[in-house]
Amino acid sequence: MKFALALFLSFTAFAQVSPEAIANSPNADWLTYHGDYSARRHSPLKQITPANAKSLVAKWVFHIEGAKKLEATPIVHGGLMYLSNTNELYALDARNGRQVWRYRATGAKGTRVNRGSAILGDKVYFATADCHLIALDRSTGNLIFDVEYASFDAGYGTSIAPLAIRNAILVGVAGGGSGQRGFVAALHPDTGKEVWRFWTVPGKGEPGSETWGGFPAEMGGAPTWTTGTYDPELNIVYWPTGNPWPDFYGGRRPGDNLYSDCVVALDGTTGKLKWHFQFTPHDVWDWDANENPVLLDATFRGKPRKLLVQANRNGFYYVLDRLTGEFLHAKPFVKKLDWTSGLDDKGRPKVDPSKIPTPAGTRVCPSVRGASNWMSPSYDPSTGLFYVVTLEQCDLIVASAKEPVPASGFRGTGNEGIPTEPGKFFLRALDVLTGDIKWENPMPGPGIMWAGTVSTAGGVVFTGDDDGNLVAVDAKTGKDLWHFSTGHSLFASPATYMVDGKQYVTIAAESDVFTFGLFDAQ
Amino acid sequence: MRGRLPISLLILTAPVVFGQRNRLPTDAATVEAGKQIYMGSCSGCHGATGEGSQGPSLLSGRASRLPDQTLVNSIKNGLPGTSMPNFPMGDEKITQVAAFVRSLTAPAIASRVPGDAERGRVLFFGAGRCSSCHMILGRGGHPGPDLSNIAAERTVHQIRQSVTKPSERIAEGYRGVTAVLKSGRTVQGVAKNYSNYSVQILDGAGKLHLVNRDDIATVDLKDASIMPPVANTTDANDLIAFLAKQSTRPQGGSNQ
Repeated sequence: MKFALALFLSFTAFAQVSPEAIANSPNADWLTYHGDYSARRHSPLKQITPANAKSLVAKWVFHIEGAKKLEATPIVHGGLMYLSNTNELYALDARNGRQVWRYRATGAKGTRVNRGSAILGDKVYFATADCHLIALDRSTGNLIFDVEYASFDAGYGTSIAPLAIRNAILVGVAGGGSGQRGFVAALHPDTGKEVWRFWTVPGKGEPGSETWGGFPAEMGGAPTWTTGTYDPELNIVYWPTGNPWPDFYGGRRPGDNLYSDCVVALDGTTGKLKWHFQFTPHDVWDWDANENPVLLDATFRGKPRKLLVQANRNGFYYVLDRLTGEFLHAKPFVKKLDWTSGLDDKGRPKVDPSKIPTPAGTRVCPSVRGASNWMSPSYDPSTGLFYVVTLEQCDLIVASAKEPVPASGFRGTGNEGIPTEPGKFFLRALDVLTGDIKWENPMPGPGIMWAGTVSTAGGVVFTGDDDGNLVAVDAKTGKDLWHFSTGHSLFASPATYMVDGKQYVTIAAESDVFTFGLFDAQ
Repeated sequence: MRGRLPISLLILTAPVVFGQRNRLPTDAATVEAGKQIYMGSCSGCHGATGEGSQGPSLLSGRASRLPDQTLVNSIKNGLPGTSMPNFPMGDEKITQVAAFVRSLTAPAIASRVPGDAERGRVLFFGAGRCSSCHMILGRGGHPGPDLSNIAAERTVHQIRQSVTKPSERIAEGYRGVTAVLKSGRTVQGVAKNYSNYSVQILDGAGKLHLVNRDDIATVDLKDASIMPPVANTTDANDLIAFLAKQSTRPQGGSNQ
């Protein structure tokens, strides 16, 4: 029996990971940063339930010497967990946390955090802080290729978890705060050779370039620093984009600044733009739109629709048609929101002019960190709820008209915070179609956490809280079921997987990854 | 039961720590001049290749991580409270010695290496059968260490040691292992990791076996490398010359 199991492990560890398998994830495996292509982060595993969650115990902890801030959601496949840190990737035995191999990108420049890896065929992929895509044999960690896709010396950097689709590994870049031109690139899975590239700031004379008032595209920002989503049936990639540069002063870039603060829908084969939707035109608050664009199908106002939903950093929860980009609905999901009196029927905000940052400082809600941020939300089709970590906070934002110089640290100045108004986090469950808040779970704490959620068919939602606890709550009610204090602050989203018939929940925390399962008396 | 593992597993030593260097000269003439002085004045305590004897090793530990200027000052002024005397030999010679000491821990990619790299490449992928166990950029076999970036990660000295005396140091994750399972099946390869509770074995076909110790009857971890030494000096030099070119980045390692 056990022998058969060992054989099975060997077999699964050797099978190719197909795009179809990724489309069917998560199941026992967790095959993308988001768990799946849709960023629903909802697992069909149901061994852990509201009835037994109190029996969760720590199974293992893996420590990474020197790691300061793990932000990755690991990938799990064939009994191996792939965990990334800055410029390095670890393969661990997912049952016990024992290291199987480690790859270090010797000589990589830059020290940005890393949010995760991708898996396809017989390889795992991750990006170094200096924008090299690294492909490794997923059993041995042997290097297959190391390809630069953007120049660190020109100011580019990245923290992205790549996204593997059929015939392409998709990557993005940071740069919204330092004046680089954003793009999404598709690299060939076998060679790293570029297949296509979509610039998120149009070149001179291209459609959309008229929305910049002559500001140079090379400095435009609109970075692509979080991982997009993918609809394999439509073969459309949905990638969220960041803020225009300089972040807080828009005087030199009059216009909407396309395609900053957008979700862009790109043909998966060619990278051609199918549609875009801009959440915050002419952003001067550094809000980005890099929150996960979550894909789901549902009947909306009596009509079956393919939807894309996003809890945007600007404070609104949006529902779009993902075939056309049509704006269907939006609703604030935080109470502290004062920059607009509302959206028109196309989803365009009516901006309160008194909320444009000035040199003297302007109080704006939400804060620069946003009503939510890159921490992952999740969506459970059985409850119809969208679980999202939200931040109630305002900021004093200061603007400067100084001549912008890329890669100089200049961002048009920034936020100063309001010491008497500390931020407060809530885990909220929104009705996925209306954005109505169905329940909320407040998080006391210092207001620093950056952890997201995973929901499960067992009826349990896992999240990190602002005090460093991994928390299990009832998916229907938000009631606390279980918690474990990691002793660290949390800057990553949890995942769940199954090996040898046992369900595990895992979360990275500063320098360690913690993994839990039900108490096993044997 | 599986057959014997292919031979020629190259076992490598601990990573080089690179840092705060590149201010001392690296040209061959300076390094060679420094070597002559070193052999006369330093090797008695620090060993002929810096491996240490009465004095500490210059290849690892604190002495290998000294900033250039501190290294120069240590030679020039000595280290009070230790057996390290001062060497009043003039700044030029001090610089030459320091340059040689530094060259001992320079990554292979930044070192001058004798040997025919092209012949080494042919040997590696051909008659030498190195590539039956080692890979370079996806070409080669299992379960030996990947050598795609070896010249950025190791010194020439370390590579030479691994090629000619592979059992002197076995890198973590590459000890030979034979596990007999309670089922009677034998799994053979290298132990990527092992504890009292589990063992993770990579076999010669590149398959991973994640095995609980409950399932194992016996485990035999080998103390000697499963790689045979390269005995022929010309072959070793040519292989080392080839390996000393394997770096994935132009500046491999030097900026870390």
